[in-house]
Formats: sequence, structure tokens, C-alpha cells
Amino acid sequence: MKIKTETAGNSCITATITRRSFVKIGGALFVSALLPPGISSLAAETGAALDPTLLGSWLEIRSDNTIVARTGRTETGTGMSGYYAQAIAEELNVRPETISLILGDTDKTPDGGYSAGFLSGMSNLRKVAAYTHQALLGLAATQLGIPVSGLGVVDGVVSGGGKSISYGQLVEGQHLDLKIPVEGKLPQIDSTEWMGVAGLEGITVTGNPPMKTMNQFKVMGTSYPVPSISDKVTGKTKWSCDVALPGMLHARIVRPATLGSTLISVGEIDKKQFPAAEMVKRGNLVAVVSPDEWEAVSAARAVELSTRWTEWAGLPGSENLTKTLREQKWGAPSESRGKADDVKTALASAAKTISSTYEQPYVRHAPIGPFVAVADVRSDGSVTVWTHSAQSQGLRTRIAHMLGVPLDKVVVRWREHSGQYGRTTFGGDGAEADAVLLSQLTGKPVRVQWTLQEDLAWSTASPGWVSDIKAGLDSNGRVTAIQSAFYSPHESDARLLGAILSGMPTTTSKPGMWIATEWPYEKIQTRLEEAYGMPNIGGDSAYGGLRGNIMRTPGQRQQNFALEGLINEAAAAAKADPIQFRIEHTSEQRLIDILNATAKSAGWESRPSPHRGARKTGSGAVRGRGMCIMLRENAYWVGIAEVEVTPVPGAVKVTKFTIGVDPGKVINPRQLDRCMKSGVVMGLSEALKEEVTFDNSNVTSTNWSRYKILTMEEMPEIKAVQISRDDKGFGGGSEGANAVVPPALAAAIFDATGVHPRRIPLTPEYVTRLLKG
Amino acid sequence: MAVELTLLVNGAKQVVSVDPETPLLFVLRNELKLTGPHMGCGMAQCGACAVLLDGEEVRTCVTPVSYAVGKQVTTLEGLPVLWAAEKRLSATEAAKTLHPVQQAWIDEQVPQCGYCQSGMMMVAVQLLAKNPNPTVAQIKDAFTNTPPSPHLCRCGTYAAIIDAVQRAAKAMKA
Repeated sequence: MKIKTETAGNSCITATITRRSFVKIGGALFVSALLPPGISSLAAETGAALDPTLLGSWLEIRSDNTIVARTGRTETGTGMSGYYAQAIAEELNVRPETISLILGDTDKTPDGGYSAGFLSGMSNLRKVAAYTHQALLGLAATQLGIPVSGLGVVDGVVSGGGKSISYGQLVEGQHLDLKIPVEGKLPQIDSTEWMGVAGLEGITVTGNPPMKTMNQFKVMGTSYPVPSISDKVTGKTKWSCDVALPGMLHARIVRPATLGSTLISVGEIDKKQFPAAEMVKRGNLVAVVSPDEWEAVSAARAVELSTRWTEWAGLPGSENLTKTLREQKWGAPSESRGKADDVKTALASAAKTISSTYEQPYVRHAPIGPFVAVADVRSDGSVTVWTHSAQSQGLRTRIAHMLGVPLDKVVVRWREHSGQYGRTTFGGDGAEADAVLLSQLTGKPVRVQWTLQEDLAWSTASPGWVSDIKAGLDSNGRVTAIQSAFYSPHESDARLLGAILSGMPTTTSKPGMWIATEWPYEKIQTRLEEAYGMPNIGGDSAYGGLRGNIMRTPGQRQQNFALEGLINEAAAAAKADPIQFRIEHTSEQRLIDILNATAKSAGWESRPSPHRGARKTGSGAVRGRGMCIMLRENAYWVGIAEVEVTPVPGAVKVTKFTIGVDPGKVINPRQLDRCMKSGVVMGLSEALKEEVTFDNSNVTSTNWSRYKILTMEEMPEIKAVQISRDDKGFGGGSEGANAVVPPALAAAIFDATGVHPRRIPLTPEYVTRLLKG
Repeated sequence: MAVELTLLVNGAKQVVSVDPETPLLFVLRNELKLTGPHMGCGMAQCGACAVLLDGEEVRTCVTPVSYAVGKQVTTLEGLPVLWAAEKRLSATEAAKTLHPVQQAWIDEQVPQCGYCQSGMMMVAVQLLAKNPNPTVAQIKDAFTNTPPSPHLCRCGTYAAIIDAVQRAAKAMKA
């Protein structure tokens, strides 16, 4: 029974309830959303994706008062699924635990979009909930005979005038047709786009439904538990690696001998030893499959020995990386911000200038669980892929393009897996293309499990870089101008490796770099920032060489190391306390407040660096402390590191790290605390240990003893400070913590030794070289 | 060549027909559908695949299944059974009681991606069986130096793990 058409927003059209949506939604409340003119054909283009014009695609309220919410964005481990539930609960006035979430399945969600952009994902669901709330109030007013103004909602029960009715009772057996404006489109191949795919940002819910103000929040701002945690702890989670289909084959890839070798001949399987194993190949994608996983592993190892590849030696060797970057002819910057003439003048008239070069080798995401995917390519041409991606719709688009099939033939189902830390943000990088192609070739479902060695050698990595940065200081030591140039191979090669190896169509990928810094010093306005990009190192190989990709706090992580290093060097030149020096270059109260709060928590003693007792020789330990800031996505960050440096043999021990953030309104204090502290661990790992090494042909850091990451014992005491505000919106609190570690650590080493590191990782070898000067 | 092996897993007898050289991990995951332990490095360098064999951690990615014959295997799924046996809980109580280590992992909101956490909980169970009141230094040692290799977490949840081990220690003494 359709009892009423509610409207929200300005221009509304009653949508037709299709049979498909009716069936999917069952007896639940159904609200539809309105698409703006120009993309009304979206449903036809997206095939199996849910129609975003129908609110039932986003949200269902069931007769038992539980709620199902759907979004194409996924949980990447930092807790966004909890924030989504909190936002919906807040606007609907229900308890968050009554909400279950369907994430990332391309045929069960309406919106696509970046998982990393949880603020936009949360905004979508919050608005959807707010529109629904208004519609439900209207429905309740009719049912109860009480005007909306006389109604209130607690825990999903609408009350007024002595009467009450639950949401579940309100919607039972009824349909409500509500229009919500949306804009945007789902991903589609577009070679003019940087990533080769347009629409990765997905669908955005627009309009301004009545929503609570932050000081009215009851659920947002509380430490609601992240929904998936309990199942992960009890073993109930069905991870992407757990997908097992009838007749499924296990596959192991036989990788080319080098990052550029092409196939000469494949080895043979000894059928006596491995009776069920089969070779499968397409182009340079070579695999062994078997119904038995151990047989697939063993046979692949045997076949690898007798498979022949061409030689290739197109890499410079990691020890020559900086030299290689220096020799590159960069041409014009990919992005430039500021006025070159003003900066030139200011630097020329400065009382003093400071110039530095900062650098870092390649690092990588390096999850504990290597890539895994299961694919089923059926005889009717339909394809289902089970995997962990932060961009299911983008991945789906890339797979359809690779196979040359209509988009609606492909479904991507999202499952939990080991963290991805940015590498699947654009829907590339992973085992999915391998699994799809092997399933197509064998006619059976195929599960592809990469090994750690493959993952550390063949997945994308965060490229090494150099940055030249220069400051002009006035006679008081204040910074008057900054000029920076950042040079890096591009960080967004999201082509599917399986497609590249097999010679199937891949999306394009345009080299480039961008300025990621959000400027925190509004008193330094004379500045020129330039970012230069180049193709992948070894990019003329058959497979693209060292394929670059974004990694946690991308671009800004690297650029902030250079900027904050320079500011610390400038503070030292001015003989100023580094915190006071920063306060002198801003009037942003949020930054000043979080600086003061973090300094207080750390027991910061105001004085210039280096420390009076700084020493760069000897085998006795010397202590130091240093700090840095960052502005990212409406969040002000402060990092304070305390270290013990032993000049001989160049050992750095971090004794304490204090991190502070003001992300506007804190959505979930406990989970933010967890993310801040874990982000510090990742930042320490990168600052102290991480380096992708390679020779002329291959990546050589292909196990955990060669690609070293921080262990528990190396973790110092970590303190976290939060400032939550009700009047500054939401900021990005989950991601950025890692980026405030390297500059603070470098500054602490400077404080201890009088020598400022300009490179990470701060290994004993590098620190020894640095201190010897 | 496949042979029949009898295993004792999470308190129950299991008969499997596998090549005795098959890593225990594949048998647990593919034959017995116990997917708590995860494939990580495949060379005993990370701990994601760890289970307890007679109460001691082993890395199942490099342990042949034949090695587990005659020993008690405990996976993530078996931690409640282990605790119920230790506390002699009734069947009704056992069905609704998690191991205190699991409960602490939930209460302290430890997992992010969570991929390594099954192995981490194995270390916690083993540690607390031997040392009911570990210091922070002892906890760090138990996750770093005592095992075949340091247990690695790429999300960086080490601080949460320490909090959870301390919480579990309190709960187990109560």
C-alpha cells in the first residue's frame, strides 16, 4: 500500500517503484532519491549496481525496528563503518547497534566512492538518514494524528500527545516514496582522466535536510564500538581469503624472472608428482592451478625452476635512486602554487636564507596478508569477484574494460582482508585480474593467493623522492618566504597487473605529481610550491617497472617532511623554541590550542634546538626532543618525539611520542585514540626502518627480514591528545597520524646531536654517515 | 601422497586425508574450515598463522600437518573451548563465554584490519598461561623476542594489544 508521497528538497518527481527494487526491499520502508537532469540514464549504465535514485537502495527500516544501510565504500580498518552507523543513528534517533551495514558489494550498494574519503561517505549516509527521519515524522503525524511539531523520537520510537509508534510499526507493509537529490556518477573508463577512470568519487547526496547541530549529538562523539571487531576476534568474519566455491581451483602465479622479463618457454608439470595440477598461461601471466592448495604451491615452485624468461636490467639500483632522480629532465611542474616573482624578490631581499634537500627511498604498503582474490567467470560471460578493495566500483570498471564486456556483466563483492593503506584506492593493484583471467581460461572458479615475496616485489609502491626547499628569513629570524620543489615518479599507477602481464587491455595512467600540502602558516604567504612528476622508474619495461601508488597520507606525508624540516631548521637559525616559532607564524587559534595542549601533555620545555648537551660523537647516549605540525582535511596535527641517540653506532631509540589532533568534532574518541597511536607506529616504522631496495632487475626487499617494519618492542610510550570542537565541522582524524612522525623524529635527532637528518629511514648506517658529516 | 591422519583440534578429534607434508595451515583452513589462522608470509616471519600446539605457539605455514599428530591444536575458534575446560564451565555457560583474551581484544577495540590478530591472541594466551601478571616489558618481549619471529602488525595496533593483554590478565585472575 502506498499511503503518501513525501518530498524533500526543492524539485521533486515521484519515482516509480520498480519490481526489482520492490523485491529487494521486501516489506521495508522504501524511500527513493531523485537524480538531477543529465544522469538519468545512470541505472542503465551501472547495470547491477543499485539505483541511487531509490532510497531503498541506501536504507531499509525493517518491521522489527532494525535498519540496514548500504554504501559502496568499505571498512579499511580505521573504523569508518562505525562512524557511518553513528551518523545514521544520530539523524534517525536510533541506537547504532540496530544498524547493520552492507559495504562495498557493487550489486548491493548504490554509490561507489573512495573508502578513504569517509567524511563524504558519512555525509551521504547522514543526509539519507536525515531525509528519512523527516519522512518518518510525516508518516507518524498522519498515523498518530499529531502534528510533526508535537512529535519526538527516542530509540526509533516516535511519541507525541500521549501516543507512540515505532519506526518498524510505521513502515510495516507500507511504502514511502521520498525524493532525495544526488549528483555524480559511478566509475567509467575515460582515457582523459589521470587515472584512466572517471567517477571514482562516486555518487554524492546533495540538498540540505534538517540535521542536528553538533551540540545536539548523542551518538556522534561517543565511543561506539567499530561493528566488525567482535567477529574478527571470534573467528566469525568471512575474509576474502576464506571464500571457497564448489569446484574452485587454487592458483599460484609463476612470476617473471625480473620486473621486465618476458616469457620464453613454460616449464612442465610432473604429472606423477602433481596429478591434479595444470599450467595456465596467457601472455606473460603464468600460473599453476590445482583443486588442492598445497599441490598448487608445490607444483608452481617446481615449474618456476624450469620456466625460462628473457633477461632485463632496466632499474638503476636503489643505491642510485637519488642520482637517478637528479638526472631526470623534469620539464614543467605538474602542479604549481604561488607567485614565482614575489618569492624571488623576497628571497633576494631576505636577511638570511636556508636551503635544504630532503629525500626518501621507495617504501611500500606491505600488509601482513598478501593479495588474494577469488573469481568466477561463468559460461554466460558473467563475472563475480570476491576481494578486498577500497574502490569496488572502480575495480569493477577496470575488470569489465580488461575483458571487453559490458559493465553489468561484472560484480565485485567486498570482503575483509589485510589492510590496504591506500594501494587499492583507485581500484587497481591486486590479485583480481589474475583470478578473473585464470577463471576464464579454466572455466572454473579460481582463488589466487599471492606470496609475500610476490607482494613485496610486484605490488605497487610509494615512490622515492627528493625535495629542494628554501626559506628567506628577516632580521628577527622570522620566515618571509618559502620556495619548494618536490620531485617524484608518479604515485597513481592503478593498472591491473594481471592485465598488464597477460597483454589484456588496461586503463591508461598519466604520470604526474601534485601539491599535497595544506598550508598551516597563514603568516607566511609569500611562497612558491611546485610538484614535478615522471613516469615509473624502469617504466619502459613490459610491465611498467616500479609501479607507483599512493600510500597513507599520500604526498603530504612526504612534502610535510621537507616543509617541517625546513621550519625546524629555521627555528634553530632564529634560536627560537620550535613551538613558539610556529605560533609566531600563525594566528589560527585551533593550531595554537593543539600545540599548547600537546606540548603540555609531553612536558615540553621551551627552548631552542639543539640541546645544550648535544653531541654527535661517542658511544654514550644523548637525548633530544623535536616536533612538527600538519594541517590536513580540517584537522590540525602536532607530533612531539623524544629520542636517545647513541652516536656510535648511530642508534636511534625513540623513548616517547606525543601526538595531538584537533579534527573539529571528534566522532569516536576511543577509535580516534586507537588510530592516532597506531598511526604513530606506522610513522615510526617508516621513519626508522623502511626502504624498498632493488638491484638492476628486481626488488630485493622481499621478506620481513629485508623489508623491516616496527616490532612491538621498538614501540615507545605513546600519548594521544584530542581537542573536539562543536563549531568547526568534521576533519580527517583516522589517517594522518603517520605523517607527523618523521619530521618530529628528525628534529629530535637534531636536538640531540646538532645535526639535522634530511633523509629517512634513520638507520644506524645513515645516522652514522650523517653524524660523521 | 595422501594418508589418513587423526588430529585433535579445539578439543575434537578430526580425521583428514592429506599429504603429511602439507602445512598445518592449509589443513586447518581448507579441510577443517578453521579460518582463524591466516596466511601471511609463508616463512614463519610474521605470526599471522600461529596456533597453539600443546599450549606452545607454532607457525602453521611451515609446520607439516604430520607434526601435529598426537598434540592438542588450538586455533582462534578453540579459545572459548580452552577457557571453558580450564574453568570447568557448564555447557550453557561455555556457549556464551569467550576466552578472556578475546573479550579483552573486543573491549579494548584492538583490531583494525585485524588480519594478524588471531596470531596475536595466541601469544597472549600462551603468555598469560605462564605469567599471569606480565609487565609492559614482558608483554613486548613475548610478542617480539620469544616467538619464532616478532609478531608483526602493519596497522600498528601494538599499544592496543598491550592494553588488552593487561585487561585479560586482570579478568583471568578474577
